[in-house]
Amino acid sequence: MLQPLTVVLLVASGVLGVLAAHHLLRGRLVDDPLIIVGAVIELALLVQLVVGLTKASAIADGAERATFIAYLFTVLLVIPASVVIAVKEKTQWAMAVVLGGALVVAILVARLQQVWSLNA
Amino acid sequence: MPEPTPSPSPSSSSSSSPEAVPERPHTGHGFGRLLVAVYGLLALAATGRSILQIVEYFDRAPVPFLLSALAAVIYLVATIGLARGDRASVRLATIALTVELVGVLTVGAWSLADKAAFPEKTVWSHFGQGYGYVPLVLPLVGLWWIRRTARAGAAADADVARSAH
Repeated sequence: MLQPLTVVLLVASGVLGVLAAHHLLRGRLVDDPLIIVGAVIELALLVQLVVGLTKASAIADGAERATFIAYLFTVLLVIPASVVIAVKEKTQWAMAVVLGGALVVAILVARLQQVWSLNA
Repeated sequence: MPEPTPSPSPSSSSSSSPEAVPERPHTGHGFGRLLVAVYGLLALAATGRSILQIVEYFDRAPVPFLLSALAAVIYLVATIGLARGDRASVRLATIALTVELVGVLTVGAWSLADKAAFPEKTVWSHFGQGYGYVPLVLPLVGLWWIRRTARAGAAADADVARSAH
């Protein structure tokens, strides 16, 4: 996989996590900076999807390739779902959901890289 | 972590704002949003894993794979039940969470006692170790939350009844 892209994604999810934690402590809700960081992550994830799909044939094992492709698509759902839930919630729990979402994206991106490096 | 307020407030800093419309406690609001999100994620993970296992190599270990599928269904029911939050949905979610708790305890103990039966991991084997023990802790947290919401709901109803007199 593209290692720079993975690094960008991990850093961006870190930024989203820190932003969500900051908002949580300050009692703020979803705002523009949060949406923008989320959108940047989503764009990078779409790039990762395209790159990943074009390179997926390098993974010889069928089950591992299926896992890899499944992760590529699944990770796309996390940020939109978190933001939708967070927008509806008017307490600090909104930011807890976004913080959790950022963490899950980071874990899935790391898992993708792991599946890739073990099999391709 | 902020105080898990079952009654939604307009902003976190003013939890007792007078203009806040009092709303019945809801299993899908406040802390419940996080719970629904985590259950949704587990439903997704378990569904994906069981589909892959059943399609790619069902012969290798049918029992764990069927358990993965069962877990996926239970997580799905729990997610929807908690998110909807009406009386019937919450009852359904309670059943799902109880089955989940029994399942993770049984399968967890079983997988430790008879390792040969579980050559492949499931969400519940080794008490959910592969998922950071989240499958073990989650049903406990979920059942606590349902209980808490139900009590707060009963208290709110009592308030309404009292103010009506």
